[in-house]
Amino acid sequence: MTTGKIPGKHWRASDGIHLDVRGLAPPEPMVAILELIDALDDDNIIIVHHFRDPVYIYPELADRGWSCKIVAGDPDEVRLHLRKQL
Amino acid sequence: MSSPASFLGGAKDRLLPVSIPFRFFATACVFHILAWLVLLAGAESLPGFGGETGLVLAALHLLTLGVLVLTAMGASYQLLPVATLNPLARVWPTRLSFWLIVPGTLLLAGGMVDANTILLYVGAALVAAGLVVFAFLMADNLRRARKAMPIVAAHGWVALAALTGLLSLGLILIADLSGSFLNSRQTISQTHMVIAAFGFMGMLSFGFSHVLIPMFVLSRALPERRSWVQFTSAAIAICFAVAAMVFDNQYLAVAAVVLGFCASVIYFHLMGHAFKTAMRKRLGLSFVMIKLSWGFLMAGLITGFAVALDMGIPNGSTLFGFLIIVGWLLTFLTGIQQRIMPFLASMHTTGKKGIPPLLSELTAEVPLKIHAVCHVVALVFCATGIVTDNTYFVSFGAAAGLAGAIAFAVFAGLVISKLRKKSDQLT
Repeated sequence: MTTGKIPGKHWRASDGIHLDVRGLAPPEPMVAILELIDALDDDNIIIVHHFRDPVYIYPELADRGWSCKIVAGDPDEVRLHLRKQL
Repeated sequence: MSSPASFLGGAKDRLLPVSIPFRFFATACVFHILAWLVLLAGAESLPGFGGETGLVLAALHLLTLGVLVLTAMGASYQLLPVATLNPLARVWPTRLSFWLIVPGTLLLAGGMVDANTILLYVGAALVAAGLVVFAFLMADNLRRARKAMPIVAAHGWVALAALTGLLSLGLILIADLSGSFLNSRQTISQTHMVIAAFGFMGMLSFGFSHVLIPMFVLSRALPERRSWVQFTSAAIAICFAVAAMVFDNQYLAVAAVVLGFCASVIYFHLMGHAFKTAMRKRLGLSFVMIKLSWGFLMAGLITGFAVALDMGIPNGSTLFGFLIIVGWLLTFLTGIQQRIMPFLASMHTTGKKGIPPLLSELTAEVPLKIHAVCHVVALVFCATGIVTDNTYFVSFGAAAGLAGAIAFAVFAGLVISKLRKKSDQLT
């Protein structure tokens, strides 16, 4: 995958690829998430660290066949668990 | 696999009940039909229209209040709370504003047909009350949007100031119908139109473009400094335009149009930045309409420039108003509305697997194509009819506009029916 130009910080961990979009101006958090999804080859789980619940991304995720769930995270974040629908 | 409830997590907390934005959008579609129908009935008065009471004035207000303002209200109520991360404290004022402005617009337009002062007063009072409720709700949201979206908030504050001005002038114009105390009714009427078109609706359309266009095309954020330059030049242009009307000063009018050009060109550059960095390259018919509306904005400003310099365009002032209100604002809003309705519908429904339905499942291409063709025909024929003082051209244009408005209402009806079907599948 090529993720060099994707806005925000991203790293790989045992539970999937993490993407931190806090501090980005709208709509860059949404663009970063979608660009990462489009750049992935085999990975099918992304953990997003967001500053809010990004309601407008849900139809875009659906278009790409990904589901999303809010999971427990740090107090200053909304943590999203994105999974590719197989 | 996520459950339907967990898919949207806390998002639905900030989404209004779906009936709120959709009642505004659906009613705007009905007013869209009514506006063209009334214009068709009063086609012969359009070319020389100068703000006097009659069918054209009624059609104009069915369009501005009934279509443009209702659509802007529905979109503002839904978008701002999501963007500012704060839900509306109460939902009932949104319903109240709807139930004030809808009958108010009908009564006001009815009163405008034959200068019926009772209908005008009652209609104006209801519309004013509805707009005041909207203004308070919007002001509360804009106050909270200062940090999250400073550019959008700045446009919104100017729009609210313009709303106050246009409401005051509108009420003065109505009072003058029975009192006849104004020295120059024409000046107040033109100032009311400029503030309404550029100050209120224009600033809202510029401001919301900073959020909606990048979001729809999936682009990088717009350059901030250039955005402030665009906002400042637009705001100063509006002040100059109002001063030009009040002082009847040609230099101020020319300066206003030149500044308006500058603001528009910077705005197009900003939108161009969004298109250049967009992830989504195939933008569909909605963006054909949006780009077309920008063409009409430029055509309107060129006409305004020619009118300011007394270059002798036949019925130039009427053409200017038509190009700005119908060509730019109505075309822009139908472009945005055909994109946003399926989008909101998708956010409000969740499919069997816990994911929202595809946008393509919630739209209706054929009625939108019919609307686009009819709308363009209407614009071309009405504009030609205004310049050539030809009633047949205006009538044909209005009939085409009516057909387009019906097609657009069919689209809206199909989206709402698909939304209902998807919602029923969940329960």
